[in-house]
Amino acid sequence: MVTAPDLVLDPSLRDWVLFPILLVMILVGILRHYITLLLQSPPKQQDVLAIREQQSLARGASLRSNGKVIPPSSFQSRKAYLIQSFKDGIFLKDQEAFKNKDEPKAPANPLAEPGGMDQMINMLKGNMVMIVPQTLLMSWINFFFSGFILMKLPFPLTIRFKSILQSGVATRDLDVRWVSSMSWYFLNLFGLRSVYDILLGSNNSAGGGMDMAGMNPGMMAGGFQPGQDIYKLYLSEAENIELTTHEYLLEDIEDRILEKYQL
Amino acid sequence: MDEKERKQAIYPLSTESLQQNGKTVYYIRSVTSTIFGVSAGILGLESYYGFLFYFGGTAFVSLLMFLLLARGQPTEYFTSAKDIWTGNTLAGLSSFVLTWTLFYGLVDA
Repeated sequence: MVTAPDLVLDPSLRDWVLFPILLVMILVGILRHYITLLLQSPPKQQDVLAIREQQSLARGASLRSNGKVIPPSSFQSRKAYLIQSFKDGIFLKDQEAFKNKDEPKAPANPLAEPGGMDQMINMLKGNMVMIVPQTLLMSWINFFFSGFILMKLPFPLTIRFKSILQSGVATRDLDVRWVSSMSWYFLNLFGLRSVYDILLGSNNSAGGGMDMAGMNPGMMAGGFQPGQDIYKLYLSEAENIELTTHEYLLEDIEDRILEKYQL
Repeated sequence: MDEKERKQAIYPLSTESLQQNGKTVYYIRSVTSTIFGVSAGILGLESYYGFLFYFGGTAFVSLLMFLLLARGQPTEYFTSAKDIWTGNTLAGLSSFVLTWTLFYGLVDA
C-alpha cells in the first residue's frame, strides 16, 4: 500500500542542518576529551609523612579484608601493632598538633590546605569543560536552527512531548513524531557516547559527566577528604580492626586437598 | 564466614580482570547497538518493532558472548552471570535510538 507522505522535507535541511549538527557534536566531544586531558594537572608530589598519614588508613582496611591469608599469629601481631599505632597517632604528619590536641581549635578550612585547593580547582575545570560547550551548542542551535521541522522520529511519542520537541513550530495538530532540530541535539547528546567509545577508546571524557566513577579515578582511590580530622578516622579504624574476627584460609587445607584429588 | 564467602576467598576473582571484562562487554554493546540502529533505520522499522529489534539483537549478542567469549561459564569471568546478559543494555539503547533515527530519516527522506 502506497500512501502519500504527509510531509515532505527539503533535502537541503538534511545537508545543512542534520549533518552539521551531528558533525559539530562529534567534534566538540573529541575536543572536550583532549581539553580534559590537557587540563589534568599531574598529581602533586607529597612528602613522605603526608603519604604515610593517608596510606596507613588503607593499611588498616587492607588488613581487615585480606587478613585471612596470613596465619593467626601474624594477624594478631599486625592487629596489635596497628591498633596501638592508630591510638598513639604515630602515623600523623603533624606530631606537635597531636600533642596539643586537647586544646580547642577552629575546624580546618578545606580551602586552606593545598591539597583541598587543588581538588576544588580540578572539579571546577571539569565542570567548566562540560558546561561551556553544552551552553554554546544549545544557543547555537537555538539561534540558527529553530522554527522548523527537521526530521521524523521512527517511534511515536505522547502529546506531552510536543511542547518540548516541537518548540518554535507553530502547528497545533502536527504529529509529535515530526521534531525540530533541538530534539536532534538531545538525541546526539545522549546517544553519541558509543561513538566516542569507538573513536577514543573506552576511558574517554568526551561524553560529559554521565559516568562519575570513571571520571576522577584519583579522587575515588584515596577516599580521603581534606579538612577532616584524621585522628578520628584512625580511632574508628582501630575499632574496626579490633572487631574483625580472623579466620585463616588455610585452616583445613590438608583435608581440602585430599578431597579435591580424591586421595 | 558462610559458604559463599568462603568459596570467594578460596577461588578469588581478580578485580582488574573483572573490570577489563566489563569494559569488553561495554565496548561490544556500543558497537553492536550502533550497528543495530543503522540496520533498523535502513529496514525502516517503526515504533515497537524497532525496540523489539534492538532487544532481540542484544539478546542474540549476549548469547554469542555467552557461548564464544565466556564459553558457557560466565561466572569464571564475572561476579554474576547476569552481567553478561543484561549488562549495559540500557546504555546502548540511547545510541541505538540515535542511529536508528538518523538512518530512518536518511532513507525516508
